[in-house]
Amino acid sequence: MSIIADENTRVVILGGQAGINAAKRMGEFCHLVQKPFYVEAFVYPPDAGKSADVNVGSQIIPVPIYKTLDDAVKAHPSINTALIYIGANRAAASAIEAMDNQNIKSISMITEGVPEKDAKLLIRKAKETGKYLNGPSAIGIISPGKCRLGVIGGEYNNLILSKLYRPGSFGVLTKSGGLSNEIIWIISQFADGVTTAVGIGGDSYPVSDFVTYLEMFEKDRETKAVVIVGEMGGNLEEAAAEWFGAKPRRIKLIGVVAGFCQEKLPKGMKFGHAGAKEGAHGEGSARAKANALTKAGAIVPETFGALGPAIKKVYEDLKAVGQITEVEDTHPSELPQLPKRVEESVKAGEIMVEPLIKSTISDDRGEEPLYCGYAASELINAGYDIPHVIGLLWNKRLPTPKEAEVVRRIIMLSADHGPAVSGAFGTILAACAGINLPQAVAAGMIMIGPRFGGAVTDAATYFDYGLRNYPNDIPGFLAHMKKSVGPVPGIGHRVKSLKNPDKRVSELIAYVRRENLTVPHLDYALKVEAITTSKKDNLILNVDGCMGCVLLDMGYPVESLNGFFMLARTIGLIGHWIDQKRNNGRLIRLFNYLINYAVVPKKTVPPLKK
Amino acid sequence: MAKLLEGPAMGLFQKWGMRTPHHLVISDVGQLETLAAANAWMKECKMVVKAHEALGGRFKLGLVKLELDIEGVKKATKEILGRVVDGMKISQVIVAEMVEHEEEYYLAVKSTRDGAEILMAKFGGIEVEANWDKVVRTFITIGEKSTNKQLIDCAEKAGFSGPLAEKMAAFAHSLFDCYDNEDGQYVEINPLVLEKKSGELVALDAVTLLDGDARFRHPDWNFTFASEFGRAYTDAEKQIMEIDSRVKGSVKLIEIPGGEVALLPAGGGASVFYSDAVVNLGGTIANYSEYSGDPPGWAVQALTEKVCALQGIKHIIVGGAIANFTDVKVTFQGIIAGFHKAKSEGKLKGVKIWVRRGGPNEAIGLAAMRELESEGFDIEVFDRYTPLTDIVNMALGK
Repeated sequence: MSIIADENTRVVILGGQAGINAAKRMGEFCHLVQKPFYVEAFVYPPDAGKSADVNVGSQIIPVPIYKTLDDAVKAHPSINTALIYIGANRAAASAIEAMDNQNIKSISMITEGVPEKDAKLLIRKAKETGKYLNGPSAIGIISPGKCRLGVIGGEYNNLILSKLYRPGSFGVLTKSGGLSNEIIWIISQFADGVTTAVGIGGDSYPVSDFVTYLEMFEKDRETKAVVIVGEMGGNLEEAAAEWFGAKPRRIKLIGVVAGFCQEKLPKGMKFGHAGAKEGAHGEGSARAKANALTKAGAIVPETFGALGPAIKKVYEDLKAVGQITEVEDTHPSELPQLPKRVEESVKAGEIMVEPLIKSTISDDRGEEPLYCGYAASELINAGYDIPHVIGLLWNKRLPTPKEAEVVRRIIMLSADHGPAVSGAFGTILAACAGINLPQAVAAGMIMIGPRFGGAVTDAATYFDYGLRNYPNDIPGFLAHMKKSVGPVPGIGHRVKSLKNPDKRVSELIAYVRRENLTVPHLDYALKVEAITTSKKDNLILNVDGCMGCVLLDMGYPVESLNGFFMLARTIGLIGHWIDQKRNNGRLIRLFNYLINYAVVPKKTVPPLKK
Repeated sequence: MAKLLEGPAMGLFQKWGMRTPHHLVISDVGQLETLAAANAWMKECKMVVKAHEALGGRFKLGLVKLELDIEGVKKATKEILGRVVDGMKISQVIVAEMVEHEEEYYLAVKSTRDGAEILMAKFGGIEVEANWDKVVRTFITIGEKSTNKQLIDCAEKAGFSGPLAEKMAAFAHSLFDCYDNEDGQYVEINPLVLEKKSGELVALDAVTLLDGDARFRHPDWNFTFASEFGRAYTDAEKQIMEIDSRVKGSVKLIEIPGGEVALLPAGGGASVFYSDAVVNLGGTIANYSEYSGDPPGWAVQALTEKVCALQGIKHIIVGGAIANFTDVKVTFQGIIAGFHKAKSEGKLKGVKIWVRRGGPNEAIGLAAMRELESEGFDIEVFDRYTPLTDIVNMALGK
């Protein structure tokens, strides 16, 4: 047996993230004891209608979230217990709502910092409704092997070490949350474990007091002894002593009280718990409490350190009179282990995983990104620049200084080409329609293709083909292109011509010549241009063709070449978007006179045939 | 529990319709001239000047001056302001009217589990302690109000009669309203006096303890709380309180000068058992501290630095029970960072560190502590298999 929390407990948790975290701990407990999950609902208005995922073993259980307690209980009529994780300013109102609910029999209030007046009103309400309210500031309740309410018991490994997977013979009552775990651990070491452990909270006025629980333990035949941990302040320990001494009790009572140090410390000193304070006239001292317990017949070790041996003695005595039979314990290796996360298992070398992707250029698992093995900050400090990063990430090697300079110039020359071209116009059109930056820039990017900016790769591909197959036969190459492909990519410009040359092209060629770079593809393309321009003035080597050849000559993979234009033009597209935003550009709509409406005149719609 | 200094306490009394002496809180003697011009009572009445700080035994320390006229008030204020007592500089004085009276009474409201007790006595001041058994009590259930009849009955039982009993009941009613509406825990007026010139009851002095946790519903609480142990908070204590007020979980520090064993334990409950263990073995504690509720590492580091800075310590007890949800790794990282900082500043010389802890990530946290040994710290680290307070026995060699 156990008290309050058992196999029939069904829980609703009121509150947000703290409540979900507690539910996860409760899910771990269900996995350990191999019992169904008993948290049926959350109440948290901001997330009403959604569900919160809780792991029980490797299974994920979606727990529905409701707007009100009433909604939750109507949908889950088996709910009989509420846990309150709501902020101190609204916790009491929630508790009153829970006590007024027919189905809910017991409540645990985990919330800390609840005003004393609210706690006292809850005490009155609990008396009137006959409900139990554990807390405020309660860590929770655990009945080993059966039910855990809250995070009491701590992490999974502690549940195993403290034998919380099966009941024992000792009840535990503590004000302190941390000490509840410590006492459970001591009992698991010195005796046979726990029936139920209750952390009642360290406030001045815990709603359900020690006596409430002692009476329950007295009726629970499986509980043979109760360990009570009190501290100075209030009179709950005195009340417990009075209850215990009032008549012969079935259970043994072992009690320790904290706060003897108060005798040697400045009066009025404040300890960790709100309730840990002596009264103005010395009432509620640790000594008064310990004396009251001793007088009532409880076993009261002088110090906390003496508690373990005292518990052991009670256990041995109870065994000797046949009240407790020793149980054979399950070996920890026979207990369910908490499933490991994939990451942990991989780290431990226990499993192999088929990777989803493979990456050869970049690694961000350490303190900072590595580009082909080089730390970004070291590259910066060594004076490297953006073209080197491009070289590493696109071509997997550091470019020579001259190569880097070529890339730098290509980016600078291609960054923008005014608002009229397809890319910029696409971005401007989107910007003026109120579209955000990434999407508007993407609208411009979408334009990059065979007719706009996207000819770099194609041009390089065909000039490379020509250089390989028609190295000394330009007319042969042009004939092949005419027959099998069409216009030569990289040759021709809408407005630029021999008389009106593209300065971006002449700049690039001038640099390459000045630095004596070996550029066989560019040389070949210029020979092609010499012939095409003799036929028509505007069939010049355009910027795409020129870039493509030079970059190919530097060893960049042919598929990467459109990337240089995209990268460079992104600078321009972002600029156009910012420009339109700054100017508050108005929505663009084509004027009718810009459209050739080659349409049929208006006609009568015929009736729809059925 | 949170104590109010006299100034804000009297402000609350007035808010709930209780008479108090005329008074002013000042922090600069230069203010007195203009205040005296604006307040008639400062010309007409004899006055008292008191240090407005959380100090016990102010009278003995010469921080209370009686029977003063305005010139006397100026002189007393000059004398008291800026004085340093126990390392604390006095920054405020309260100037109050001296109320002429003959009899002194006692009136208090005390919170109990089921409601509140109103305490009345026909003798006040220092006589009340000697006649404690003659104090008359009446009980009011939580959520209820006191009735006039109940209070008059109580006053009559305490020896008041006729109009005075009615005045007493009315004053008690106001005090209960104040207690009930302001989330009081304990409000004691001693003495409550009958003013000669008006024939009305006036609260001369009071102890006012409010519930600090209720601050969220009192937007007009424009005061800070004072310490309750007869001295002002130290700078280190104030800094930790400030951190405590804005982090998840809690960090707490009270300094106790002269102690040899510094405490840095986890948990509101366990920390008291550690204090008990030291005192029980005849040791002296240099502080009371605790951290709990999974506080962030930096907050624990700040607490650690303050603990390491305590003068004359020989041991630091980094104790703790088996935590429910406080991350041992994270909180220990904070403590370790604090130790590193203290050591780099030349502290921790001749100080031995004792560690015992369990809870989430205990293995990682304890291993990190053990590594400090190789860095030259004098440290011993124990896990859950060593009982909670055994490190105190080891530290004190018992």
